[in-house]
Amino acid sequence: MTAAGTALPEWSVEITPTLVVSTAIATRDFQDVHHDRDRSVQRGGKDIFLNILTTTGLVQRYVTDWAGPEAVVGRIAIRLGVPCYPYETLTFTGTVAEVAGGECVVDVAGRNSLGAHVTGTVRVRLP
Amino acid sequence: MSASFVDASILDEAKRIIAAGESPPRVARDAVNLPMVRNWLEAMGDDNPVYERDGIAPPAMTQVWTMRGLRPVPDPHDPLAAMTAVLDAAGFTSVVATNCEQTYHRYLRVGERVAVRGRLVDVTGPKRTALGEGWFVTTESTWYVGTEPVATMLFRVLKYKPAPQAVLRPVASPDTEFFWAGTVKGELRIWRCEECGALRHPPGPSCPRCGAMRPGYVVAAGTGTVYSYVVHHHPQVPGRKAPFVVALVELPEGVRVVGELLDCDPAEARIGAPVRVDFVRVDASLSLPAWRLS
Amino acid sequence: MSAAIVGIGATEFSKDSGRSELKLAVEAVRAALADAGLAPSDVDGLVTFTMDTSTEIAVARELGVPELTFFGQVGYGGGAACGVVQQAMLAVDAGLADVVVCYRALNERSGRRFGQVSHALAGASTSSGVDAGWHYPMGLATPAAMVAMVARRYLHEYGGSTEDFGRVAVASRRHAATNPHAWFYERPITLAEHQASRWIAEPLRLLDCCQESDGAVALVVTRLDRARDLPHPPAVIRAAAQGSGPDQYVMTSYYRDDLAGLPEMGVVARQLWRRSGYTPDDVRVAVLYDHFTPYVLMQLEELGFCPRGEAGRFLADGGVEPGGRLVLNPHGGQLGEAYIHGVNGIAEAVRQVRGTAVNQVPDPGPVLVTAGTGVPTSALILTSP
Repeated sequence: MTAAGTALPEWSVEITPTLVVSTAIATRDFQDVHHDRDRSVQRGGKDIFLNILTTTGLVQRYVTDWAGPEAVVGRIAIRLGVPCYPYETLTFTGTVAEVAGGECVVDVAGRNSLGAHVTGTVRVRLP
Repeated sequence: MSASFVDASILDEAKRIIAAGESPPRVARDAVNLPMVRNWLEAMGDDNPVYERDGIAPPAMTQVWTMRGLRPVPDPHDPLAAMTAVLDAAGFTSVVATNCEQTYHRYLRVGERVAVRGRLVDVTGPKRTALGEGWFVTTESTWYVGTEPVATMLFRVLKYKPAPQAVLRPVASPDTEFFWAGTVKGELRIWRCEECGALRHPPGPSCPRCGAMRPGYVVAAGTGTVYSYVVHHHPQVPGRKAPFVVALVELPEGVRVVGELLDCDPAEARIGAPVRVDFVRVDASLSLPAWRLS
Repeated sequence: MSAAIVGIGATEFSKDSGRSELKLAVEAVRAALADAGLAPSDVDGLVTFTMDTSTEIAVARELGVPELTFFGQVGYGGGAACGVVQQAMLAVDAGLADVVVCYRALNERSGRRFGQVSHALAGASTSSGVDAGWHYPMGLATPAAMVAMVARRYLHEYGGSTEDFGRVAVASRRHAATNPHAWFYERPITLAEHQASRWIAEPLRLLDCCQESDGAVALVVTRLDRARDLPHPPAVIRAAAQGSGPDQYVMTSYYRDDLAGLPEMGVVARQLWRRSGYTPDDVRVAVLYDHFTPYVLMQLEELGFCPRGEAGRFLADGGVEPGGRLVLNPHGGQLGEAYIHGVNGIAEAVRQVRGTAVNQVPDPGPVLVTAGTGVPTSALILTSP
């Protein structure tokens, strides 16, 4: 039985250049800052970095890995923080904020060494 | 133009774009299909089996179907692009996404072809932020299958003016102020001993050759060759955007002067390259000597 | 000469000490005194760097040192490292003081980072501030960039490659890898990793630049006759020298005829060999100041380990590899152990002389240690009695 206050198991993803590039391409985001390190550095970045569609995707995966395959995601609302560069470890934590009528809202945060990369909430209908 | 006039005109433009309402539908390149779903799951490392089993797409993938691809064609109806152009023109040229809120009314099924429509919802500013002064621009996108809305997204970006970083100002002393008075006038002045005629740079109160304290100056011809150079990458230097090139230039007069090598592709810099002097105006009382490849 | 280093002490080397620079200084001085078998009440002299933020009197207060008869500060950044020992030596030699402690304490990583642009220096109403005006406003505003200007000219004149710089980093990191006190303990690098590291200021890469550290080191200097009664064998100061070269600036001596060298280190070298009676051939262990690798090459040349322009070949021929001509920075240097403004290198030279270093060279003979380069500098030759 899931109750408000339940903590989700922590999940860490090693951010590799391959992950940044393969997810950027899989989300059809061809902006150079997500695959071309030289151009990204020229634009003031430290390296290539994760695109927003991937951050959203990883947040979804974090919650459905916990909630189970039959869970249905209704909403993902995120606030974007520091960039996520290769060789960072992106660590997700989550807490159930509310449970009502078979749906729950999970507070999620993904942090790396620079700080909070993403914070937000996911609404999910549990099976 | 006063700041408030600029603000008012930005808000007028925003009102106009908001009033234009929802853009015409832009249809996805592909129908929802398993190969793209599988690519996405593989890249995300998501092994949830329901998508393949039920022939549905992950909800976080909704926006993927209508991404513009590798060679995007400008869309005159895109409200975010229109507002971006207005803010670019007003000097708010940098952008960072701050919020993304997606609501999924249902999961998409393989074979369905979505179309997206966008509208400008809100423009707020100018706000002082850690990045610089800027405007928050919020758009709403709605994805449809036929006439049925299947997902919406509120997307907020901050369009900002990067906080200006002033150059470091030189400390001038009574012994060196003639040099800085020269750069303001477009002259590269070289210290000269009025006793023995020795030239030197950087200048000082006394002649290291003859010991006299009768400093004067000559105006350099303004040419030289690169004696050495640096391509600076890290860390940030006030007033400069890396990478940039700084050169130590040998003048035909026999002295060396350091200056930025302006508009120089780092790959083009080389020792021995002929250069001409230029002056970068900082404000009415300061110009910096600099170099250009000639 | 009749002075010796009889005590060494240090804090841990970290990226965030979590305490004040004064506290670090006091901890290191207490440790050095304990190592020397002396008490704060024995101390009558204190010397540090002008860049140190803890004055001699502040350290004396914390230690409970009642009176000082000798105190002083040596200028020019890391160039002071061996200069402070020279001051101590002069003081005890002249009978101005009996026990002089040299210290350097800094939160260089968690506090003021020297690798960043220094607005304070660029705006100072001093001759140094006026000097900075010829470089900082033009965008040449960090130590790495200032060294890069000389390194580029060096490569141009002598035709080496940046791999020559990399071999210095590889050697330091190899030694750090077996030094448990080193920040980069168990983390050696390869030449390929050096070449793949990002540009900081071409031709310098990240792995050409020393680390940034928090920590403190202190050294106790006294007369050799007194040293004989103390617990450790003394590290005798056979020669100490300072040097400044023609048309000298701090990090930007770009206006002298010869840009591709370190004439100030040549000034130091001539004094060292003359005073000690040794020659470069006698030296097998050298602690050379390594804030940026190119200046290690130029030091090898100025000190006479190889002819001008041939340091690259010296390194490529295995000159600092295991079994090579020279054991370079056996503690790991500032690239590998810590950046304590060169004073940790002096402590290592003392350990080598005592025979207590983690990467001990058997029967090392005279140990050479140098101070900051690109600035007015200093050096020491230490031996067992």
